[in-house]
Amino acid sequence: MLRYAARRVAAAVLVVFGVTLATFLLMHLEPGDPARAVLGLHATASAVAALRRQWGLNSSLPVQLGHFLSQLVQGNLGKSYIYNVSAASLIGGRIGQTAALVAVATVFAIIFTVPLSALAASRQNGVADHAVRTLSVVGLALPAFWFGIVLIEVFAVRLHLLPVGGEGSGFGGHLESLVLPGLTASFAMAPILVRSLRVGMLEVMDAEFIAVARAKGLGELRVLFGHVARNALVPTVTLLGLNIAYLIGSTVIVEQVFNLNGLGSLLLSSILNRDFPVVQATTLVLGAGVVIINLATDLLAARLDPRIRLR
Amino acid sequence: MVGRHRVVWAAPTIAVAQAPIMKGAVLPTPGQRLVTRRDLLKYGVAGSAVVLLGPLAASSASASARGRVSAAARSSNAVQRGGTLRFARSIGPTTLDPANTIIAGDIYTLDKILEPLYVTNPAGQLVPWLATGYEVSTDHRTFTFSLRPGVKFSNGKPLVAEDVVFSINRTRKDAAGPLSFLDYAITDIAAKSTDSVVFQLSQPWAPFLSDLSVFANAVLPADFAGQSEKDFLTAPIGTGPFTLDGFTPDANSLTLKANPNYWQAGKPYLDAVEFLYVDNDNQRVLQIQGGQVDIIDTVPPANVSSLKASSGISVDLFPAWQVDLLVMNERLPQFADRHVRRAITYAIDRPALVHAASFGTAKPGGSFFPPSLEYYSASTPVLDYSLSQAKAELAQSKFPNGFSTKLLIDGGVQKWVTFAQIIKAQLQSININVDITPLDHSAFESTFQKYDYDMFIDYAINDISDPDEMASFEVDVKNGGSESYWSDYDNPKAITLVHEAEAEYDSTKRAALYAQIQAIVAEDAPFVALDYPPYIYAVSDHVNGFEVNPGGAYRLEDVWLT
Repeated sequence: MLRYAARRVAAAVLVVFGVTLATFLLMHLEPGDPARAVLGLHATASAVAALRRQWGLNSSLPVQLGHFLSQLVQGNLGKSYIYNVSAASLIGGRIGQTAALVAVATVFAIIFTVPLSALAASRQNGVADHAVRTLSVVGLALPAFWFGIVLIEVFAVRLHLLPVGGEGSGFGGHLESLVLPGLTASFAMAPILVRSLRVGMLEVMDAEFIAVARAKGLGELRVLFGHVARNALVPTVTLLGLNIAYLIGSTVIVEQVFNLNGLGSLLLSSILNRDFPVVQATTLVLGAGVVIINLATDLLAARLDPRIRLR
Repeated sequence: MVGRHRVVWAAPTIAVAQAPIMKGAVLPTPGQRLVTRRDLLKYGVAGSAVVLLGPLAASSASASARGRVSAAARSSNAVQRGGTLRFARSIGPTTLDPANTIIAGDIYTLDKILEPLYVTNPAGQLVPWLATGYEVSTDHRTFTFSLRPGVKFSNGKPLVAEDVVFSINRTRKDAAGPLSFLDYAITDIAAKSTDSVVFQLSQPWAPFLSDLSVFANAVLPADFAGQSEKDFLTAPIGTGPFTLDGFTPDANSLTLKANPNYWQAGKPYLDAVEFLYVDNDNQRVLQIQGGQVDIIDTVPPANVSSLKASSGISVDLFPAWQVDLLVMNERLPQFADRHVRRAITYAIDRPALVHAASFGTAKPGGSFFPPSLEYYSASTPVLDYSLSQAKAELAQSKFPNGFSTKLLIDGGVQKWVTFAQIIKAQLQSININVDITPLDHSAFESTFQKYDYDMFIDYAINDISDPDEMASFEVDVKNGGSESYWSDYDNPKAITLVHEAEAEYDSTKRAALYAQIQAIVAEDAPFVALDYPPYIYAVSDHVNGFEVNPGGAYRLEDVWLT
């Protein structure tokens, strides 16, 4: 198990490095000049040149990359051009919001997935099964931002049950403000999970130990959740991990729709402002988040199913 | 649209021989009385009633302003005090240093805390603010301003002449920023007594009072009231109606509290203003529909009719000193050809453009001066849409068979995308093939500033009450600050007229000069004035007294909630 974990961690570090490098190159290849963005339309050519010199933007790309990496190794993520504070402090102020959104969305996804797939699996080819399968296809086809706007229109604008957007104040207000974004984000992943868990459960249901469990006289619910679901869980956990990783990327859109001040919206505004250090730092953190979730999933799957570590 | 992006503070980098201060009708005379709230309301009504922006604008703006005025005018008892105004804006502040910003998010936050000697009222007129008036020497080079008695900073210290000296010296030289050139003509500022300040000018300078009214010339306490500059700018102390406990860049909201020491007795009416930063257009519209906020800015024209239909919300269109421009790069042979530029102007059906993209909120373009701007000339010989004239002009050019070209836009703004598509279709009919290049905002700006473009669409705002700013910015290729809005348009006759207008006191003569400038520009067609959009705000019915001046600024001490 330890060797397996070490191998996975080493691979993860390489991936994060690759992401950082790719971001660095893409940002510097794009047109648009952060010095002009900061100084505005009245900037003189000499002011722009001076600021570029101050930020080291006039040295060659490899030199800039070398500087960036050496700073990074020392744990310095750089300083925002626009806000004039460290990128780390900007990220620190935002990371909680994104983490909370991902957590709430994951909880919603699980709440939808387990009962729906159990219902579908236990009524294979019945009306309920078809309904769940159709619903999941429809859910998969809906774009997240559109679904988010519909939720806002119904629950916030018409019914006034939940806030339209923003973060709310206090713990209660904060939680309330995460309901609609969480639902929206969860709808992007629940359909895939439902279908995966349903198939997994159907396969397990044919297994002999299920027949044994039934023969022992266990109730159908006990059989379904105690034996079937548990054994069908491994592929679903892997898929859940992949989807959380995907979810971290889609927070960029969900945060935009619901006006949440998380890492996604920070990333977007930094790209538009050509705030290079913040873009790099944010991608690094998001990339690391994705890698860590994947790593945790791999390790969890290995823990659930000993066969995985041996491969 | 404004707000979502950096405001184009269209303004001239001064220089060149300029002129004496005018004493036209709009300028206050020495010792002019304090402007009351009722006056402001009166100007507001006049502004919305006189400077109508199309029939829709007329019905909405004047009706809502009338409603508010009558409520306020019944008696002062009608005003209700207290409450927090929740205001969703498209852009938040990154700095509160008045000398070092030209960004809407910064300006419309700091101007609630820090005030200048003069301000522009909602009708677009200059009114004395921290000054009560001035005396001017016969050579128009020495101005002595009397400071308003009884003005205190939010820390309780009285406003004195030294504060003005410190602040304007800081803006013009000690911390010179993007608008320091507005103070170009000032050579010296001195405190004559505690309540009077003397400005020396290097030359007579007509836009002087207007220039003083810019937010960058706001008055700070001398030496930052003993704090370090950095600490001061985190929580500025000013004479304005509101105060700020502390400012965090990148926060998603900011709360201003009423200043108990405010010099207008009894104001502000509000306890606090909460600014929420919502950059997504759709979110902003939904937040006011959901009752989560009381006012939103930068309403997309497409949402105006649906918002009007929402109960409890009115949509206010305020006349703006703004013009949207199609700029052509005269460094390229096609656009150096006057006939080509005229052909393009004739070929663009501006009423159709406005109809399709502004949903009745804007007015079709003509002169490069917006109609709301002083000295706009209605008799400008505009090249109105005519396909036959367009073809005739192109036939006379060096490119009679047309050509292919590129149109650069800020792809993040839906209005520009719509404009570009319509222009592409319309220019097709004179054999000019347009390829649209959408870029995001910062890439867009740096690209056209490097002249790496054929044509682009952008907007210009005159942010002070004097039209010299827009005239210089768009015509004075050498000293206007933008090489004629990066078109490289150079007409020596027009430039001479701009400088003559700066030196002219007589408002009739000045009007004639600006009419001549507008006529020359209309004939030369360096850019196409596409439309004149208003500022569009959606306001809940329980908000009273909200007005925006044509430069885009709004003061909130007169706002109250029911």
